[in-house]
Amino acid sequence: MAEKTVSWLLAVANKRSREDFAKLYEHFAPRLKAYMMRNGADAATADDLAQEALAQVWRKADRYDPSKAAASSWIFRVARNLQIDKFRKKKFQEVDLEAVAERPDVGIDSHDRSIARIDSQRVHELIQSLPQDQLDVVHLAFFQGLTHTEIGIHLDIPLGTVKSRLRLAFNRLRQTIGDQS
Amino acid sequence: MNSIHHHLDDSTLLSYGAGALNEGFSFVVATHLQMCEQCRERQAQAEAIGGELLASLPPVQMAAGGLNALWAKIDNSAAQPQAISKPKINPQALLDGDYSDIRWRTLVPGIKQHIFDDLESDSGSVRLFSIAPGTTIPHHSHGGGELTLILSGSYHDEIGRFQRGDIADLDDAISHQPIADTAEPCVCLIATDQKLRFSGVINRVLQPLIGI
Repeated sequence: MAEKTVSWLLAVANKRSREDFAKLYEHFAPRLKAYMMRNGADAATADDLAQEALAQVWRKADRYDPSKAAASSWIFRVARNLQIDKFRKKKFQEVDLEAVAERPDVGIDSHDRSIARIDSQRVHELIQSLPQDQLDVVHLAFFQGLTHTEIGIHLDIPLGTVKSRLRLAFNRLRQTIGDQS
Repeated sequence: MNSIHHHLDDSTLLSYGAGALNEGFSFVVATHLQMCEQCRERQAQAEAIGGELLASLPPVQMAAGGLNALWAKIDNSAAQPQAISKPKINPQALLDGDYSDIRWRTLVPGIKQHIFDDLESDSGSVRLFSIAPGTTIPHHSHGGGELTLILSGSYHDEIGRFQRGDIADLDDAISHQPIADTAEPCVCLIATDQKLRFSGVINRVLQPLIGI
């Protein structure tokens, strides 16, 4: 499925294929709606936001680089930025990673390292294998946008415990992503 | 150019990727990311995790006729250019050392600050500090988190030496005393989500005056 979504997104980017966009819509719209509802939207608002996210996918598809990200990661980013805009007090505009990458000497710490393409299936398996306490904090961060402090209050655990569970989860999940550091 | 030695904590990056950091912290993280490829890679990994979480959510049915409505919306808006909302604060100016929009106020001798009032940061704040060479930030701890990004100059404290691009990502357990240690001022961007607590009698007298 991951490979199919990449090819649909590329067809939208390169050929403006409405047929492939329809397939992306069918696969992602109901999940984007679910994502927005978990972030606190009612069904009607979530429906609108899922539509808006996919409208942005259509408009910005030419920026998608399959060597850098899976289609789901890229679409997730669109949805995440939209949910930040709508639900959180934070309005600061995210750094646009693609724009940054285009400027060759932008950073002090530039090495000749490409971001390894992730193995979606493997990430999926590793998420399923997370211990429950790590999965819980990951879900609270990703699906409800809770900050570390808010997670601590929600689960009645110390801030240090929240951070260490997130670190452990991230470490485990990135085993598949070719992290060399 | 020196390399970056001090990076963002994994828990901060994962939450940033999830869209779960407050505005003040997000601003400092975004500014550091413009300088640090290693952290940008980890940010991309966090988004990959987000992508998989999204893809595995149980779907919720969309309202009928959704795709047609979407085409109508896309085709209508194609006629009008999309308004691009400007970011509240441009990190690039800070990275370039352009402080023309910064209004410095002296905090205590040796330390000037500018508070970014527009940025929301729970009970804390986002500030730009300019610390004169040899000045010590009074000994302090913080309930909650603190992110300090060095823009120019450097300081050292109990943890190590921090130079341009380095970021100190600290949680509430840390009590530290940074000292600016080069010939030029140390300019750094600091976000906190709680009020800072300064120890020592003199500092407790100063604290209400300087309002940190």
